[in-house]
Amino acid sequence: MIASAAIRRQGLRLAALACVVALVLSVLLPGDRYLVRIFTLVGVNLIMVTGLSLLFGYAGQISMGHAAFFGLGAYTSGVLTKGGMPWVLALGAGVAVAAVVGLLLAMPSLRLKGHYLAMATLGFGEIVLFVFGEFESVTGGSNGLRQIPAAQVGSYAFDTPVAKYLLIWSVAFLVLIMASNLVRKRPGRALRAIHGSERGAQACGIDTRRVKVQVFTLSAALAGLAGVLYAHYVGFISPSTFSVSLSLVLVTMVALGGMGSLPGAVIGTVLLTLLPYADAILPGLSRETVAFLQDWETDIHGMVLILVMLFMPHGLAGLVRSIGTRLFAKRVRPALSRAGDTR
Amino acid sequence: MLSVEGLVAGYGRIPVVDGISLQVDAGEMITLVGANGAGKSTLLKAIAGALPVRSGRVVLEGRDLAKAPVHRRVSKGIVLVPEGRMLFSAMTVDENLALGAYLRNRRAERESVERDRERVFELFPVLGDRRAQAAGTLSGGEQQMLAIGRAIMSDPKVLLLDEPSLGLAPKVITEIFSVLDRLCETGIAMVLVEQDARLALKHASRGYVIRSGAVALEGPASDLLGNDDVRLIYLGAWHGRE
Repeated sequence: MIASAAIRRQGLRLAALACVVALVLSVLLPGDRYLVRIFTLVGVNLIMVTGLSLLFGYAGQISMGHAAFFGLGAYTSGVLTKGGMPWVLALGAGVAVAAVVGLLLAMPSLRLKGHYLAMATLGFGEIVLFVFGEFESVTGGSNGLRQIPAAQVGSYAFDTPVAKYLLIWSVAFLVLIMASNLVRKRPGRALRAIHGSERGAQACGIDTRRVKVQVFTLSAALAGLAGVLYAHYVGFISPSTFSVSLSLVLVTMVALGGMGSLPGAVIGTVLLTLLPYADAILPGLSRETVAFLQDWETDIHGMVLILVMLFMPHGLAGLVRSIGTRLFAKRVRPALSRAGDTR
Repeated sequence: MLSVEGLVAGYGRIPVVDGISLQVDAGEMITLVGANGAGKSTLLKAIAGALPVRSGRVVLEGRDLAKAPVHRRVSKGIVLVPEGRMLFSAMTVDENLALGAYLRNRRAERESVERDRERVFELFPVLGDRRAQAAGTLSGGEQQMLAIGRAIMSDPKVLLLDEPSLGLAPKVITEIFSVLDRLCETGIAMVLVEQDARLALKHASRGYVIRSGAVALEGPASDLLGNDDVRLIYLGAWHGRE
């Protein structure tokens, strides 16, 4: 029975993956460049949110400074490629810088818990943002960095919207597959154990400090990776993109989808990324509605976060699960009462 | 098996445990008796590595582990069943047990881990019935069984038990203690901290009376049970029924 359940789960996973691939490719069908552009952003955000989901959703360690790692990846790779470095090397450098800074931040600050960790990472985000703005000779200051070349591997440049879209989603897929392998196995159990009870995790022999630093570093590296892809996709970066409000949106995406659920993180990312561009998906939407969504975007994010925390602590994934058990329970109950009648 | 020598540990500046020495052999159960705040739990935590050891030694099979972090002590065989169980309530019984075997992840150990899992289900059949259930939905007694089961999965040489009977029904306590006796027979050494001193002294072979962070009295459990001072102070009127 356990074996068949495992096979069923495996089947479900494959089916889910196939659905996502189909959906991702179907975005290209209408030949609508606006749609492609928006969904490219979804892919970029998804890479970041997957990392944050491992850190926050699974291990329960909050980071309010993930936009900074996103920025570190973007600026590192942007500056280096403008200086003539091949994209592939700059990609590695961008990820490495984000990872190393993540490691250095994690080592002292993961001694902190809850609010204190939130404050520490928030402060870190502000400092990095300040550096982006003030270090003009390298970063271009508040004017930003312009004319960042498109991603290029060998002689092939990803310079069309479709090519960029496919590049970013391929990476997003690899990241998702890696993450879902991670959470199903021993490292994932360790992350959830730390979330559940840190003292219990220690009693099991888990080196909780080390695991926390590792997952923080990994999630910083993934944010850096997303940053690199973003910089070469848009071609222009400026400090305002990497502000604390982005960090908050990322946290909201994880919470909306559901703590400790990767499919939830995907759904949360898609919903909140698409929010200001709702007209691309729902063509019938009036211009006023779209303008409203855009003007009030931050407020809506805040409301979503509050409502999720109050009424849906397990997010959309938890909601789906509880509806599932309720439906299932309804099917079981009549059988039970019949069994009772025969007594 | 395990000997603790001149252990000093505590929170902040004042030592709660102030120079305690004790030893426990393989297959032996010892118990620490003392009033609330005497330092029994602090001593267990310091032995397990959950609290830093200020000075003194924690020697397991000739090796001093006083400076080793918790996870290294677990890998050497010192395993704590913490007070309040500290289970992973959102995870299933199976997952909790798998986490107990977290450090036994080498391929060669797979079989022995599987054997230990079967052994846990044999010792506590109710856990076998509830393998796929979330730990948080178990009864208090079942949770305590799971906490002990999780510790067994770490393949302990020394099991440190902090208040295993707390808040449980008498029948469940009897069941749990009979399993502890069986585990002792397999060669596991046990250090038991238990608010029900009479119960503890009945199962243990030796006892240490802890007062203000130091050993006030030690000896065979039967002697302590018969000792007038011990009877008066620790097995007082509220435990009066024989």
